[in-house]
Amino acid sequence: MSPDLHHLTGAYAVDALDAEERAAFERHLPGCAACRDEVAELRAAAQTLGALTEATPPVGLRAAVLGGVSTVRPLPPRDEADSVLPLRRRRRARAASWLAAAAAVVLLVAGGLAWSPWSREEPARTALEQVERATDAATVTSRSGEVTATLAYSHELDRSAIAVSGLPSAPEGKTYQLWYIGADESARGAGFLVPADDGEGESVLRGSLRGAKAVGVTLEPAGGSPEPTTDPLMVMSLT
Amino acid sequence: MMDRMPAAPEGPRARRPSGAAAPAPDLSDLLRRSARGEEEAFGQLYDATARRVYGLVLRVVRDPAMSEEVTQEVYLDVWRTSSRFDPDRGSALSWLLTIAHRAAVDRVRSSEASRRREDAHAAATRGVAFDETAEAAHGALEAQRVRRALGTLTEVQRSAVELAFLGGYTHTEVARLLDLPLGTAKTRIRDGLIRLRDTLGGPA
Repeated sequence: MSPDLHHLTGAYAVDALDAEERAAFERHLPGCAACRDEVAELRAAAQTLGALTEATPPVGLRAAVLGGVSTVRPLPPRDEADSVLPLRRRRRARAASWLAAAAAVVLLVAGGLAWSPWSREEPARTALEQVERATDAATVTSRSGEVTATLAYSHELDRSAIAVSGLPSAPEGKTYQLWYIGADESARGAGFLVPADDGEGESVLRGSLRGAKAVGVTLEPAGGSPEPTTDPLMVMSLT
Repeated sequence: MMDRMPAAPEGPRARRPSGAAAPAPDLSDLLRRSARGEEEAFGQLYDATARRVYGLVLRVVRDPAMSEEVTQEVYLDVWRTSSRFDPDRGSALSWLLTIAHRAAVDRVRSSEASRRREDAHAAATRGVAFDETAEAAHGALEAQRVRRALGTLTEVQRSAVELAFLGGYTHTEVARLLDLPLGTAKTRIRDGLIRLRDTLGGPA
């Protein structure tokens, strides 16, 4: 368990992480029972503040809610066997794991599923099944000094994911930003990479893989830049 | 965990003289039945939780029309995903409030991001005031208990927890609002929540 990530339990429990940190923490959760328990406890503690904010809903809301549900079918229960897949523990199957994470994103979008507190913490097997069907899955690895980065991608899923090791935390006020780089050298922001204290990090890249010839990582001011402002630390070519 | 959760609040349709104890409906059971498509059970779930859910959303979002919209979306999500609720992982009310809180926070961060940031300083200087009227009318005992528990936090912990949970600010924004060194607000939030948990978990 990374002590740094562990300290995010409180902020995560009250939804006070920014999108980038939230994503990093949600990748950490499946493999860390201590954090899951603490999040549940701190969340319940925070929710007691709700006793101070109760308010009478507008009169028409009940009818609107009940009218709405009559047109929506409840989702079937998830298969029991789906529930536990600690991504982080399966080091050997990392490429498959990242693609599972990538596929989970695809499924969430394609299926129009509502985010639900437990579903992100426990990736569904359907996501894995999806990946197993991604017959074109490929990986490319790049080393630079202590830093190793592996990119897994699938044109079929139109998703890629990166995993790094040996990457020190970004300096205060900076962040590692991911880019899809086109044939014309144009760069498209593809999200962020937040390594844990042990130098390891994983991230599913944002946006479509289409038109990208490579993936790059640069150090940018916190919050990211519209285009790279520093030389890339790593570049990995796609085929 | 569930033993630390407050009893389910009264629904608006179940209003009764203050002080009269109401048997709390089993929210887990109502959720289970909702998953089977029982709209009546879902209606009961709404009645038992709407004051809490709407009140929390309104607190974070502030704008009543937008809060109504968010609350409606929350209940639709709850209905659709009710089969995914797992009672082993927390109470039904906690599950609902978790969905509601994130929906409220995501809404203010997307649509109102810039306006809210401008208002941030004003909010900080104004402090976080509770709705005394609502508190007086409902669950006064529980509210007192929560208030007492909040009183055990340091000033900075209390402000950090309130700005984050009720204000919907990120820990980075909380740090700026409270003039804390960047990166320390998340520790204050966690410390404050731990103290709140430990105080509320003890004898009432």
